[in-house]
Amino acid sequence: MKVITAYCNLRADECLVNGDVVARRDAGSEDSWFKQIYRQQELGYPKFYKMDVLSQAGYLASELIKRADPDISATYADDEIALVFANASSSAETDRRFMQTYEAGGSPSPSLFVYTLPNIVLGEIAIVNKWYGENMFAVLPKFAPGFYLDYGQILLASGSRALLCGWLEVTANSTDVFLFMVEERESGTEFNSENLLHLSQATSVGTF
Amino acid sequence: MIYIGAEVIVSPLGDNAEANWQALSENRTGIALVPRIGFGGEDIYLSKIPGLNGPLRFQQLIGKALSALSRQIDTSILSSGKTIVLISSTKGALDDSLHDQFGETCAAIMRQFKLAHLPIVISNACISGVLTLNVAGNMVQAGQYEHVIVIGCDVASDFVLYGFQSLFAVSDKPCAPFDAARNGITLGEGCGAALISSSKSVFQNAPLELLTGTSANDANHISGPSRTGEGLVRSVGRTMRKYGTGTEEIDFICAHGTGTVFNDEMEAIAFDRLSLSDKPLNSLKGYFGHTLGAAGVIETAVCMQMIRNGMLIKSEGYRNAGTSRPLNIILENEPKMLRAILKTASGFGGGNASLMIRDL
Repeated sequence: MKVITAYCNLRADECLVNGDVVARRDAGSEDSWFKQIYRQQELGYPKFYKMDVLSQAGYLASELIKRADPDISATYADDEIALVFANASSSAETDRRFMQTYEAGGSPSPSLFVYTLPNIVLGEIAIVNKWYGENMFAVLPKFAPGFYLDYGQILLASGSRALLCGWLEVTANSTDVFLFMVEERESGTEFNSENLLHLSQATSVGTF
Repeated sequence: MIYIGAEVIVSPLGDNAEANWQALSENRTGIALVPRIGFGGEDIYLSKIPGLNGPLRFQQLIGKALSALSRQIDTSILSSGKTIVLISSTKGALDDSLHDQFGETCAAIMRQFKLAHLPIVISNACISGVLTLNVAGNMVQAGQYEHVIVIGCDVASDFVLYGFQSLFAVSDKPCAPFDAARNGITLGEGCGAALISSSKSVFQNAPLELLTGTSANDANHISGPSRTGEGLVRSVGRTMRKYGTGTEEIDFICAHGTGTVFNDEMEAIAFDRLSLSDKPLNSLKGYFGHTLGAAGVIETAVCMQMIRNGMLIKSEGYRNAGTSRPLNIILENEPKMLRAILKTASGFGGGNASLMIRDL
């Protein structure tokens, strides 16, 4: 059966992996919330600092999922993990920042422009992991388990052996990120609508 | 079998596939010099639709394409619960609402055409169109829907133009894909549409067969093409293996061919590695410009017209070989029976996608 083998929720003030809080936001820090997580988790990928918020969120959550499910890279060939991501506001936050660079009398920033597409985060995750598999990014009104179930079923029937799925909504006012890994197992948390809704709302069960 | 038909193209060359085909068969281009629209007030070559101005341009174009498509199919399927609309786009209605680039358009289209389901938007940079056609075919194959309408659409904006200018990626002449003197892209706006269905009888004109392909990431760079063409090689290789298609069965390749130095070089390397360099090949960017999320759908619709009309269309803007590996670029229109074609796309984020269309 297809089961959810690991998941990560990233919210405005806390970061959870498999329901356990792994980082809490320090409101007094000068660092952005995502940089705080990057440092606290001792991740070593300096390109992180060049990424926009969507890519940072996708990078952090996917790295934390790999820590919780460390066999991922060894278990699958480099093109067997499909990435299926979605959100509601596309790359609007980075779009806004890019527009500011040329509307405020300055020049359009090429380093921001290259992040003004929602699927760039898929490219960043593919680059970090050297994954050559299927990629898809959809823009939906809200988190919809059926989207992942329907398209996941298609991918798993056509060459992909595992899915890294994500809901990745990061705007100036809110952070709602939910990444999850789907793999074939004999038992576990079944990849179904009810479990996805439940885990997407996961609240902390463990201690920090 | 998965059928594809009722193709629509809305571009500066016309409001339907037939008008666009007429223009292509005469090698007319939609690209023209637009005065003072660059970030620094430069004149810029652009493929812009005359009369498409003001607010809601994205919605207007999609509505126009869906209306044109609905005139070529059994209209009862439009509002059927077994039908879904997929929209392929990069920036949608950005000029109307930065924070809601797609939602309002989808809701309005759903109301206007009395659709049973809210359209789903797929946004994967320049491979969006080919990827969405593949998603559509896969949905029909899996029995999730009987009919999927794919609409690829992007409209011209300062946002995208200034962005490509900031990357020094905009050509100072109409783009010249695969040519030795190519120096960048020419942006375009437009909309393409097609119906993908498990039923042959819903099409007024005979449909063709869609052989859905796969996508593959380059895992190399978010905005630069791979030096080895690895992702494109993997995508096309997997697509052909999926059907046991040999290279001898491909009659024509409709490449991505943006007109940038590195993209076109990457494609030449990939087609060489795939032993496809001798296939007649073109890029349609010299006619439509780069229409981003619409490109894959518009260009697939042109491929369908090429099959229907038995004609290879020349690669506009190409004069002299300009890639390290040879390609068989179409220099003049040429009547030819086309049985199977390969369509590819590559784009930002490292994406590559491919599909095949076969005559029935």
